[in-house]
Amino acid sequence: MGTILKVDRLEKTYGEKKALQNVSFTVSQGTCFGLLGPNGAGKSTTMKILTGIIQADGGNIHIFGKDIKKQSKAILHQIGYVPQSITLYEQLSAYDNLVFFGEMYGVYGQPLKQRIAEALEQTGLSDRAKDAIKTFSGGMKRRINIAAALLHRPKLLILDEPTVGIDPQSRNHIFQMIRSLIKEGMTIIYSTHYMEEVEALCNDIAIIDHGNVITQGPLNELLEKYSQKAVYIEAEGLSGIPQLNNVTKIYEEGQGWVLETDTITETMAKILHLASRNNWHLKRLEMIRPSLENVFLSLTGTKLRD
Amino acid sequence: MRTLIRKELKIMFKEKGTFFWLIGLPIIFIVLFASIFGNSDQTLTIHYLDQDRSALSKTFIKQIEKMKGFKLQEETSKPMEEQVQDIKNGKLSSLVVIPRGFEKKMKSGIHTQILLYRDVTSDQTVASIRAILQNMSSQYREIKLQDSLLAMGKTKAEVTKTLQSPISIKEISQHSTKVDIITQVIPGFTVMFVFFIMINMIQRFFKEKDSGMIARLQSTAINPIHYLLGMWIPFVIAVLVQCTTLISFGYFVYDLKLGNVLAIMLLVLCLSLCGTGIGLAVTFLISGENQGVVLAQLFSMGTAMVAGLWMPIELLPSFAQMIGKFTPQYWAQQGFQDVMLRGADISDIWISLMILIAYGLVGLIIALICFPRFIRSATN
Repeated sequence: MGTILKVDRLEKTYGEKKALQNVSFTVSQGTCFGLLGPNGAGKSTTMKILTGIIQADGGNIHIFGKDIKKQSKAILHQIGYVPQSITLYEQLSAYDNLVFFGEMYGVYGQPLKQRIAEALEQTGLSDRAKDAIKTFSGGMKRRINIAAALLHRPKLLILDEPTVGIDPQSRNHIFQMIRSLIKEGMTIIYSTHYMEEVEALCNDIAIIDHGNVITQGPLNELLEKYSQKAVYIEAEGLSGIPQLNNVTKIYEEGQGWVLETDTITETMAKILHLASRNNWHLKRLEMIRPSLENVFLSLTGTKLRD
Repeated sequence: MRTLIRKELKIMFKEKGTFFWLIGLPIIFIVLFASIFGNSDQTLTIHYLDQDRSALSKTFIKQIEKMKGFKLQEETSKPMEEQVQDIKNGKLSSLVVIPRGFEKKMKSGIHTQILLYRDVTSDQTVASIRAILQNMSSQYREIKLQDSLLAMGKTKAEVTKTLQSPISIKEISQHSTKVDIITQVIPGFTVMFVFFIMINMIQRFFKEKDSGMIARLQSTAINPIHYLLGMWIPFVIAVLVQCTTLISFGYFVYDLKLGNVLAIMLLVLCLSLCGTGIGLAVTFLISGENQGVVLAQLFSMGTAMVAGLWMPIELLPSFAQMIGKFTPQYWAQQGFQDVMLRGADISDIWISLMILIAYGLVGLIIALICFPRFIRSATN
């Protein structure tokens, strides 16, 4: 897979505040790239620079092999951008909004009508096409917000926190839309502060904090590299866990205990042996799945939602 | 750009408030003012009390009654003291009293007085009544002189020649059409409410900015100037529709005389460029929507008053007239009235047209200078 986007030492300052400092990452063609970070980390600023809305103070961006400073118009025609806020005309119908955005991206006439029909089908809102956006739920608006960026069939879709403030059902619908776009070969950059969304959708990620990319790479590799493996045990009448070999740390969590170890199966076998010998009534014994929360914690010392 | 214009017109059409502010409210004002002032009885009521109740006092009253524009109302329900108290309390502006013995003194050739009680704060109303009474007094003096001269043996012709005033006034009307309330309020309120478009412009641009729409549209590689034109032109169209509707309303409902239609159309076009040009400038100069709306209202209402949109400018104090001449509304109103009342054509109103265009151009230049800052604030 070739590189579709290369961001090199991007910098942006607002007044005295440095929003981005040496931000660098690459995105491969046909992947879903997650840009994960807490609020105020610099995700939206990065997205706005990638879409030509604002200019960077320093650094270089190459999209489709072209320099955005020199060929921004040619690049932007191949990008779809879904901003964090719902930017639709509330008084107009879903259909009129899609006509507007389609034409703004240079699609007219019959092809536009056809693509609008497809987009409405994809969002599951064909029957609401003639209704004003103001009558839609938050989730429905979000879906139209995404559809509006797809009408010119972009090669790269940039989504800036597209699921903020919506119900789980609408979120699942959006996830389905994104998965089908990835299947069709579209490259997606997905910015969010919800680690579950990145874990559910993305192949590659970059974690950004305080305007710096603190790590990037394939999701599985990062989880493997930075996440601490652990076992969780919950048993009736258990007041403490004896020290076991290869267990580096033990602490209470919820109704049970977490045992951090690099030898998961060996540790679980030992616990089962101890439970049988000491008549512990085991309620739960499971491997703790590595998470991006742990990755973020181990890299920054803070939780993602702090 | 066409896409933007079409979208903006659709939004305007869907926003019912737009019609109310631009067309509904001016029509309400026109109807209200035309009803109050257009059909009003312009006669002035003279309250009087005839204490003499003689043949001469009745003749005196009848002579006043014959004068156009005055209506007499005898006040017999209350004693005079109470009526004088009413004047003090501001309930009555004046009271003419013909005292007892009026006829007797007149016949005896003794000087007699007609009493005029008046509220000192009602100068304008009382001035007309005083003028009437003085006129009556002069007529009595003239009769007395005529009788004396005839008694001295002068002939009627000699007496007439002697009493003839060395000057006389001849009225020559210069206007083919009568200046009435309709030709004041319809162009006046049309011009005034054109500038209310500034409020719509401020609200729409700030809504686009605050919703993030401007930022999103930037990502479509739109040319900022195309965006500006695409947002501005619908407002020009809105003003054209507004003026056409209001003037047509005046024409069909109040029989407004239009004069040279082409000149009126040009004035409307220049007025729309002027109003929307200034609207754009204000939009990009201000820092917030609320501030802009207040400014636009102050500008529209304040300048309307001194520009002679509410009442003929001649009735305003001279300093207000002077200020009014610096407003585009004054020149628009003058242009409309020149065409509608004085039969002017395009060549006669070129100053009005040029001044309106100049104001519009200045607004557009300021808007172009400030627009990049507005876009930056919308995207950061």
